[in-house]
Amino acid sequence: MFSPFHNMAWLAIVPIWLTLTGCEDQAALRTVDDPPSQSLTRMVEFGPGTEEPSKTPHPYINNRHAINEGKRLFSWFNCAGCHANGGGGMGPPLIDSHWIYGSKPENIFASIMEGRPNGMPAFQGKVSEQEVWKIVAYVRSLGGLDEDLPAGATSRPLQDKAESDLREGEIP
Amino acid sequence: MSNYKCLFLYSGLMIISFCLASCIQNDDQAVPQASNTANEPVHYPHNQSQPPSWLPDREDGQWTMPAKNYASTRYSGLDQINSENVKDLKVAWTFSTGLTPGHEAAPVFVEDTLYVVTPYPNAVYALTLDGSKKWEYKPDTHQESQGLACCDVVNRGMVYAEGKLFFNTLDNHAIALDAKNGKELWKTKVGDLKRGETMTMAPLVVKGKMLVGNSGGEMGVRGWLKALDTKTGELLWTAYSTGPDKEVLIGKDFKPFYSQDQGENLGVASWPPDLWKIGGGTVWGWLSYDPELDLIYYGTGNPGPWNPDIRPGDNKWTLTVFARRPDDGSAIWAYQIEPHDLYDYDGVNESLLLDLPVNGEKRKVLVRPERNGHVYVMDRTSGEVLSASTYVPVNVTEGVDLKTGQLRKVKDKQPGTNKTVHNICPAAPGGKDWQPSAYSPRTGLIYLPHNNLCMDMHGTQANYIAGTPYVGSDVKMFAGPGGHRGVYTAWDPVAGRKVWNIEESFPVWSGTMATAGDVVFYGTMDRWFKAIDAKTGKLLWKYRVGSGIVGQPVTFQDKNGKQYVAIFSGVGGWSGAIVSGGLDARDGTAALGFANAMKDLSQHTDKGGQLYVFSLP
Amino acid sequence: MSLPWRKKLNFSMAFHCQLPITVFLALPAHANQSALQPAGPLAAAIANLFWGMMIGGGLILTAVLAMLTIGLLKARRTAKPRHLTFIQSRNLVIISGVVIPSIILTVFVVSSAAVNRDIVAPMPKNALTVKVTGHQWWWEVNYLDTEGKYIARTANEIRIPVGKPVRISLESSDVIHSFWIPKLNGKTDMIPGKTNLTWVQADKPGSYRGQCTEFCGKQHAKMAFVVDAVPEEEFETWLRQQGQPAREPMTEKEAQGKQVFLGSSCVMCHAIRGTSALASVAPDLTHIGSRKTLAAGSMENMPGTLASWILSPQSFKPGSHMPATALTGEDLGNLVEYLLSLE
Repeated sequence: MFSPFHNMAWLAIVPIWLTLTGCEDQAALRTVDDPPSQSLTRMVEFGPGTEEPSKTPHPYINNRHAINEGKRLFSWFNCAGCHANGGGGMGPPLIDSHWIYGSKPENIFASIMEGRPNGMPAFQGKVSEQEVWKIVAYVRSLGGLDEDLPAGATSRPLQDKAESDLREGEIP
Repeated sequence: MSNYKCLFLYSGLMIISFCLASCIQNDDQAVPQASNTANEPVHYPHNQSQPPSWLPDREDGQWTMPAKNYASTRYSGLDQINSENVKDLKVAWTFSTGLTPGHEAAPVFVEDTLYVVTPYPNAVYALTLDGSKKWEYKPDTHQESQGLACCDVVNRGMVYAEGKLFFNTLDNHAIALDAKNGKELWKTKVGDLKRGETMTMAPLVVKGKMLVGNSGGEMGVRGWLKALDTKTGELLWTAYSTGPDKEVLIGKDFKPFYSQDQGENLGVASWPPDLWKIGGGTVWGWLSYDPELDLIYYGTGNPGPWNPDIRPGDNKWTLTVFARRPDDGSAIWAYQIEPHDLYDYDGVNESLLLDLPVNGEKRKVLVRPERNGHVYVMDRTSGEVLSASTYVPVNVTEGVDLKTGQLRKVKDKQPGTNKTVHNICPAAPGGKDWQPSAYSPRTGLIYLPHNNLCMDMHGTQANYIAGTPYVGSDVKMFAGPGGHRGVYTAWDPVAGRKVWNIEESFPVWSGTMATAGDVVFYGTMDRWFKAIDAKTGKLLWKYRVGSGIVGQPVTFQDKNGKQYVAIFSGVGGWSGAIVSGGLDARDGTAALGFANAMKDLSQHTDKGGQLYVFSLP
Repeated sequence: MSLPWRKKLNFSMAFHCQLPITVFLALPAHANQSALQPAGPLAAAIANLFWGMMIGGGLILTAVLAMLTIGLLKARRTAKPRHLTFIQSRNLVIISGVVIPSIILTVFVVSSAAVNRDIVAPMPKNALTVKVTGHQWWWEVNYLDTEGKYIARTANEIRIPVGKPVRISLESSDVIHSFWIPKLNGKTDMIPGKTNLTWVQADKPGSYRGQCTEFCGKQHAKMAFVVDAVPEEEFETWLRQQGQPAREPMTEKEAQGKQVFLGSSCVMCHAIRGTSALASVAPDLTHIGSRKTLAAGSMENMPGTLASWILSPQSFKPGSHMPATALTGEDLGNLVEYLLSLE
C-alpha cells in the first residue's frame, strides 16, 4: 500500500540525488593545478628529511567519474595492449601487489609521464596531465589500492569470470 | 492500485525472460568435431614420400641452421643414439645463460663448437664440447625494444655459413660474427623501433644473402623480408608484404595459381585507404629454399589489427605463402592462405620441401602445417594446393576448396567490434604456432609439436598510435576438446592423416627433431625432455630439466663420432609469458588471452635459461 | 476499488495533450530540421502519415466535442433524460465503442506499417552505402564500396547525390545513439555490436540538419550533423577528393603546423591520412578544411573557432573527450593554418 505522501517523498529524493552526482562529475572536470609531481617521486627512500607532511591525494583518486574516464583512456591510448585488463602481457601486470616503480599515485603518474627503461614509453607531451591523473586513478582502482571501487569501473568482474573459465575438461 | 500491480507483474516477467535468455546463451558450447580417424594401427609400408633429390644423402654430423637444411626437414642422419639405447641418455654438461625470458633458439654446431644465441639482450656464446666457453659476444641491444615484442623477447636462432654466424637482435639489427673468435664483422640496422618493429626470427642464408624479416604484427607494423649481402651487410632488396606491386616486388614473372591472387596492386586495393601501411604481414617465421628451382619460400603474418571490422577487404598479402627468387626478391607465385584473417592465424610456419606421390604422380611439394588447423600440401613449382587436411579440431572453417584454393569460412564465427564470439577452435596461436616440425625419410612421417586450444574473442576499438599495440581484440583461450592443451602428432603427409599422437597437458611449444636412430625428440612446458619412438610413438626416455622447454632440439657428432643432443630449457614465449613475464592470471585476457589457458603453469615450472647437452655414457 | 472512468480520462487526456505537444515539437526551430517540410520520399511519407493522423484525430476530436456540446445543450432543455433500451445501448456501445474505433485504428495501423515497410525496404545492390558510426559525441562517416571497404572517411558531415537512394548502415562504438535527419528520414537507433540499416533520398539540393535523438550522455544536445545533397557530378568529384590522402603543406607556416600536429597530443586520437597519424578514436582530419562545422555541428569551422576549440574544448562542450591542448600562439596559428589548408 503506497500513500501519496510516500510517492512525493520519492520524487523529492530524485533531484537531490541528481545534484549530488552532478557535483561529483563537475569536480572531476574541474581544472586542477598540481605541483609538478616529478620532484616527489623517489624510488628508494634514504635517511635525511624523509618525514614528509601528509599530503592530500589528487582529487581524481577515488573519484568515480575520473576512474571511469581513466578506464576509457586506458583503452584509447593502448595501455591495455601491453597491460591487458590489468593482468599484463608485453608489460607487467597492474593488479598484483608487485610494483616495480612504486604504487603511489605520484609514482604511477611518473611512470606514465616519463616512461620506464624496459619498454614503457613516455607519454609526456602526448597525453595531458589531467588525463594521466585519470588513468592513475583507474590503475589504482584496478589493483584494489583505493577503497572506493565502483562497480563497472574496474575489471574485477571480468577476472572473476576468467577464473572459472577453464571450461574444457579437467587439467591434471 | 491495479497500475502498480501491473507494473510489478510486468517487471517480474521482464526479469524472468532476461534470465531465461541469458541461460540459453550460456548453453552454447558446441564441441567441435575432430576430423581425424582415431588411433588406427601404424601403417607400413612407407608412404613413398622422400626428401627432395637435391638434398645430399651424406650426413655431416653438423647442425648449421635451425631447420638443419634448406628443405627444413630437421632430420639428422646420425644413428648412434637409437630407439634401443636412448634410454641410457645422460646429461653431458649444462650451461646457464642467466636470463629469464623464453629460450626458443636452436643451438648451432659446426666442426667442434656449439654456438647459442640467447633471447634479449641476444648474447652469443661459443662453447666447446666439454662445455667450456670459447668466446662470447654481447651486443648493446636497446632496452626499450623489450616493450615492443608482442610475445616475449625471444630469439629463434642463428645460421652458420661461410665461416660466419648470422643472427638478428630484438632491436632490429642483423649481425654477422666471425665464428672463430666472435668478432663482429658487420652490423646493419634494418628496422625501426619507433614504428613498433622488432626481430625475433632466425635468418636464412642463401646464395651469399642473409634473409631477414620483422616482427610486430600486433603493433601495426608493415611486414617485410630483406636480403643483406653476407660479406658487407649491405641491403640488397626489400620485399614488403603489403602495398603497391613495386614494393612487394611483384613483376612480370609473377604467376599466382588462383584467380583471387591475380591482379594489379592488390596489396593496396584489398585494404581501406592507407591501412596497408600499418597492416602487418610480418615475416617472423621460417624460410626454406629450393636450389634446383631457385626459389625461397616463406609465409607472412597476420593482418593488423586483429579486429577484422577495421580492415574490410582481402588484406593482401598477409597470411600469404610467397615463392621468390633470392637474387632480386622478385615474386614468382603467391597463395593467400586466408584472405581477411579473422583470428590471428599468422601464415609464418615452416615449409617442409618434399617429393611425394599425389594421385599416383610424384610431385615436388611443400608441406605447411598452418595455424588455421590444416596441413597444406602445395605444388612448390606453381603454388597449387594439392590437399589440406585438418590436424586439430576446427570449427571456424569447413575445409579448403581445392578448385579455388579458398577456405570455406563459417559465418557465425566471425568476430567484430563490440561482438563476442564463443568457442573458436583453433585459438589465436593456431593448431600450431612457430614451433617447427620435423620429417623423417625413414618413416615418411612429419612430426608436429602443436596446440589444442580454443578461444572466445571480443572485438574492440583499435587506435593506431605508432609504437604501441594495435590489436582491438579481447581474447580468452582455453583447452580444446579433450581438456589437454598440447599434442605431439605423427602425420602422414601423403594420406593426409595422423598416424599416432601423444597428448600433453600444456601446449607443445618446443620444436622437434627426427634422427636416423628412429628417435624423435621434443620438450614440454612442464620441464620434460622426451625421446619418442618415431615409428610407434612410444615414450623411450624422459629427463626433467630446470625450466619448461620452448627451445628446439638439435643433434650432432664430435670428431670421434660421438653423438650429442642439445636443447635449451627456459620457459617463455607467448604461451609461457605468464611465467617469464610474471603475469597475473586472474585477468584471463593477459598475454593476449593466453594467460587464461595457462593459469596452472607456474605450479610446474619457473623461469631461467639453461642449455642441456646429452650423450650416451 | 476500481475506477473505470479514471482510465478513460487518462487515455483521453493523453490523447488530447499529445496533439498540441507534437505539433509544437514538430514545428521548425530550424527550417532545415523540420519533419513537416520533407525533402525526400521517406520523410514525405512520414509527414503524410503525420498529417493523416493529425487530420483524422482532429476530425474525431471535433465530432466528439460537437456531440458533447449537443448533449449538454439538450440536457439543459429536457428535464427528463430519455432512457435507451438494452438493445439500443448495446448497439451504441458496439458501434461507437468497437466498430468505429476499429476501423479508424486499422486505417492508422495499416498506413503506419506501410511507411515502416518503406523505411526498411531492401535497397538495390549497387546503391551507395554510407556507414555512420555514433561516438560520444560525434559521427564517424565512411563511404563504402561494394566489398565493404571504405573509400573515404569524414565526420559530422554526410554528402549525398540528389535524387538517389543512399543506404545508411548504422553502428555505435559506445552507447546507444539514434540517427535522425528530420527532413529526410525517420529515426533509427544505433546500437553497439549491431548494424541497423536505413536509407535516405533527397529530392532537391540543399543542406539538411540531423541530430542524435537518443540521450547518450553529457553532450547529447551537441551531437548534430549536416547532410548536404548535391548534384551527382559534384558528389562524385567530392567523394574522389575525400578519398585522397591529405595534401602536403604548401607554405612554411603550414609545414610548421604539420610538425605541431605530429608532435603534440593530437596524434593520440586523430588521423591525417598521408602522415604517420592514423589514430581512430576521434574524427578523421584528413580533409578538415573542407568541413563546415566543428565539434559535431556545434560551431562554424573558421580559424577563430578552430583555435579556441583546440585551446579549450571544455568551455564549448563540457565533458567532450577532447582535452585542452596548451600551445604557444605561434604554434596554434600554424596548426590552424595547416588544418584549414587540408581541403
